[in-house]
Amino acid sequence: MGLLSLHEANQQANQLVALQHKIEAYRQVQHDTLRQLYGVSTVLAFPNATTLASVLRQMNQFGYDLDRISFVAKDEAALLDQVREECARFIAVVSHVIDLIRNGQAAEAKQSELAEPGPLADKLERLTNQLVNRAEADMVAGIDASQQTYAKSQALVAAGALASFVLTLVLGHTISRAVIDPVRIIHDGLSRIAAGDFSHRIEVPNPDELGALAAHVNSTREELQQLYGSLEEASRHKSQFLANMSHELRTPLNAILGYAELMADGAYGEPSEKMLGILKRLEANGKHLLGLINDALDLSKIEAGQLVLELSDYSIRDITQTVRNALEPLAADKKLAFKVEVDPEFPSGRGDERRLTQVLINLAGNAIKFTDAGEVAIKAEANNGSFHVLVRDTGPGVSAADQAKLFQEFQQADNAITRKKGGTGLGLAISKRIIEMHGGRIWVDSIVGQGSTFSFTLPITVERQVEAA
Amino acid sequence: MSKRILVVEDHADNRQIIRDMLAPTGYEITEVENGEEALAAIANQRPDLILMDIQLPVMDGYETARRIKADPALRSIPIIAVTSYALSGEEKKARAAGCDEYVPKPFSPRQLLAKIRNFLQRSQLLQCMRLLLAQSRHFETEF
Repeated sequence: MGLLSLHEANQQANQLVALQHKIEAYRQVQHDTLRQLYGVSTVLAFPNATTLASVLRQMNQFGYDLDRISFVAKDEAALLDQVREECARFIAVVSHVIDLIRNGQAAEAKQSELAEPGPLADKLERLTNQLVNRAEADMVAGIDASQQTYAKSQALVAAGALASFVLTLVLGHTISRAVIDPVRIIHDGLSRIAAGDFSHRIEVPNPDELGALAAHVNSTREELQQLYGSLEEASRHKSQFLANMSHELRTPLNAILGYAELMADGAYGEPSEKMLGILKRLEANGKHLLGLINDALDLSKIEAGQLVLELSDYSIRDITQTVRNALEPLAADKKLAFKVEVDPEFPSGRGDERRLTQVLINLAGNAIKFTDAGEVAIKAEANNGSFHVLVRDTGPGVSAADQAKLFQEFQQADNAITRKKGGTGLGLAISKRIIEMHGGRIWVDSIVGQGSTFSFTLPITVERQVEAA
Repeated sequence: MSKRILVVEDHADNRQIIRDMLAPTGYEITEVENGEEALAAIANQRPDLILMDIQLPVMDGYETARRIKADPALRSIPIIAVTSYALSGEEKKARAAGCDEYVPKPFSPRQLLAKIRNFLQRSQLLQCMRLLLAQSRHFETEF
């Protein structure tokens, strides 16, 4: 509609231009007529070759302009014919006058000029005036029509805008019902699945691709549910297996360690120096194996969510004292200074005392194991509701690359020293889990060659254990 | 009079270790391999202390301990649970069943022996006191 209206307006403009051309052509004929009359009068006044040639040239021009009128104003056939007729007569009369002048009959020509071309020219002027008037009237009408068309297109554009607005609303609603709602339902369903809830079936009634997508999501959900179930069962089996394995490994280990100790104590006769050395190695290896068994069991319990913190009130001073009792002989063996710095007024905390002791023994035990000279210090501070405990050593330090791996299972700093020192590679991983279950954080600061500081923070009061992510 | 120790253990090597550990002490040892045999042995001759493995065939250590502690005549016999169960809460379970001490495997024979001596001395002390008490009552009635 709008386009049609525009087209109309365009046509109107073209018509106006055509009318303008018409009027111009008419006026030209009028002008020519006058000049012709003027020319003839001049010839009569000054009959010579120059004036005659001028009149003849004007006659040619007149004929040419007449042709132009018939070209631009094809629709005015009746009037034009009249004009043409009059023109022809006018030309004939003028030609006659000219012939008379040529033949030297100036007086007759003058007579003839007075009698005929004048009235003819008047008539021609009237006729062309008529033509001009009509064309002008057409033009006014044209302008009017053009204005109307403009108003019409304005209304049409406004109506078009309104219609598009309404259409957008209707389409929006339809699209929302057909697309957005199902997409939201599918999205909600996927969110539930991502959160581990496999019980919810997605209902999308769409017969289109969205319906198919929902069906796919549903079948994937069922597969995931089954997979998840079997994974849970596998995890349970794994934990049970590890618990059984741990038990089964302990029984023969008990015999190995028991016999070694009895032998060293002389239960089977006095052992030689060399034998005693070997028995010590046997005992050390057996204890290492026991450490591995215990750590693997701990880790599997943590992973299966079976390790539950036993929350009670504890004193960091007591814990550090226990650690000192357990590790001071080891530090003394290596001639290391072993320092414990805890304020006597230290507040008591709430958490799993046994597990926190395990963490501190692990950190301090590592420090003693890897430090060959200097000191190992345990320091504890309390501020802003948190304990900050650190174990500082003067050992070889840990490179930045190894620091990142240190708290992962079976990841030890990979160098000759750690291979020589042994260890299960699980202690720090377990310590990290235990601290995180208390809602705390554990990390290491170290510069190679300048020792290491292992630190952890934890809330002074832990009322609920933090579930592993 | 030498002390009698009942060893309830199904694993031959562990029995051997306990035997070798106790050999220099002069304690009298009775060995059985499950809970039922243990109850029978106790009925036959009252021991002064019981070393009880927990995972046993026929009747396990917890059940055996419960039955012994349910009998007023046997209640005072100390029971040391020696177990390779390592799950947390195991000690609690042992105490709930009536065991007086809990020793996880692998145990150090040296440390286990120290615990055994401790218990036997304590019960000997108790016996002495009981004897003294009885004698003092006897005096009271006499004079």
